[in-house]
Amino acid sequence: MASEQKEQWGTRLGVILAVAGSAVGLGNFLRFPGQAAANGGGAFLIPYFAALLLLGIPIGWAEWAMGRYGGKKGFHSAPAIMGLFARGSLGRYLGVVGVLIPLAVSFYYIFLETWTFGYFLKYLTGGVGVPQNAPVAEQTAAAASFYNSFTGASQDGVLFTGDSKFTIISWIIVFAINLNFVFRGLSKGIEKFCSYAMPAMAVCALIVLIRVLTLGTPDPSNPEQSVINGLGYMWNPDYSRLGNAQTWLAAAGQIFFSLSVGFGVIINYSSYMKPTDDVALSGLTANATNELFEVGFGGMITLTAAFVFLGLSGTTAAVANGSFSLGFATLPVVFAHMGAFENIIGALWFFMLFLAAITSSLSMYQPAVATLKECLGWSHKKATSAIAGLGTIGAILTLWYTQGGAFWNTVDFWAGTLLIYVVAAVQIIYFGWVFGIERGWKEIHSGAAIRVPPVFKIIMKYVAPAYLIIIFIAFCFQNLGPSLTAAWASTGSRVGILVILATAAFLLVVVRIGEKRWRAQGLDIDDNNPAS
Amino acid sequence: MTVGGWVTMLVSLVFVWGLTGWCFWRVLKSPEDEKVPGGFGP
Repeated sequence: MASEQKEQWGTRLGVILAVAGSAVGLGNFLRFPGQAAANGGGAFLIPYFAALLLLGIPIGWAEWAMGRYGGKKGFHSAPAIMGLFARGSLGRYLGVVGVLIPLAVSFYYIFLETWTFGYFLKYLTGGVGVPQNAPVAEQTAAAASFYNSFTGASQDGVLFTGDSKFTIISWIIVFAINLNFVFRGLSKGIEKFCSYAMPAMAVCALIVLIRVLTLGTPDPSNPEQSVINGLGYMWNPDYSRLGNAQTWLAAAGQIFFSLSVGFGVIINYSSYMKPTDDVALSGLTANATNELFEVGFGGMITLTAAFVFLGLSGTTAAVANGSFSLGFATLPVVFAHMGAFENIIGALWFFMLFLAAITSSLSMYQPAVATLKECLGWSHKKATSAIAGLGTIGAILTLWYTQGGAFWNTVDFWAGTLLIYVVAAVQIIYFGWVFGIERGWKEIHSGAAIRVPPVFKIIMKYVAPAYLIIIFIAFCFQNLGPSLTAAWASTGSRVGILVILATAAFLLVVVRIGEKRWRAQGLDIDDNNPAS
Repeated sequence: MTVGGWVTMLVSLVFVWGLTGWCFWRVLKSPEDEKVPGGFGP
């Protein structure tokens, strides 16, 4: 690997913002408030912050340290790095999952990103057709109609008919923007974009937050629907929910998916750091940034705005319909009540969501690009072109199989949810038990700008793996049966499963070739000579 | 909004804003080893 040209981050802040950008996504603004409100309001924050301290932050530190260690030995792909930590082929093949997840998720995530971009364009040019002075029921129907039409939820293939060309054009623009930055490379593309996009996202979020918090009581005849009561809907604690295992599972799941640990991106991104770079403070800063967007903005904006205009029953119904319905079908109704500010706030909101989505999607190709470069010896341009080709195929399938969101929901569950538990569990177990917690602890503190409290050594070796395994079992118990049934229920879901399997098979072959190449080159792929 | 709601909200906000602020302050005050030019390095 030493003879190969490799990419590097330009600055320490750059890698932090890139990792934070990967973590901050649509879920921070749409999923988190819904989960909190449905699971005890303010009381939800107790298991949520417990999971942050016991799962998110420690596993994140392990992943950052593993990536940087791999980089010291010249590796950047999850299979190669996990092979080092597992000291053998099993880790390398399990590491394939760390490439499969972001690649498979990218197939549909760019479609979701297209929704944010399309809505942003619509609000810039007059809105999504929700009548301002009509009854709420009529507004809701108009917003739902636009949502269904734009996302093609009614039937497969409908987006390729003439009426839906706005969706396709939006998708082409979004896909081209993504490819442009990925082709430019890590520092000139992803890092540079995130260094502008993250502050811009914070400014947008701040403006929308200020607008929402100054709404007061817009309808004096309905004094119950005020900002204070809206905040109460989100934050009033129902401590009785702490006795329910579902609350703890939901909180851990939210932390887990929000921070992108086990997603395969952090291990890849941190491998491009210098051997002496800090990972302890960097990892903590990326996590803190994600929490700021999730709790500080997501927890304050979304449901408060919905409550002020839709009241208790309307907001509860919106939460029950799920994150995407809340964001794309309910909030346009809320914006329609903001009078002269409707289009400005709508455009800012969806632009902010677009930035959240694109900083995530940009990170999804890089692990696969690194794997092709490393395993096959390809150039950056050749590897990126190949992944772009795969991404195009995946995206076309996503755009075709839109009925009920079956295709992308299937890929999201199996690749974007279930497998993340697997990668995170494998990583923390290899880190704490095979690589060894003492070596791991030393690795985290190599070049560290902060000292990690010693209690985290115990958390990383015992608590996090046990916590993770319990949650994983509970998650499977709760979801596996219905999801197995749903996986074969429609053409879209069946194609989703086939896409995951085909992508996994392709990556396994690539890693097999890579393993043979590395052995032939005499590289220390089993970490027989540990890097200092 | 109940007292419990106010307390939970304020504690959570102080925690996330405080943690983020402290982290960025530490990152920005510690010097970079060296400036690496953007793009591909040797």
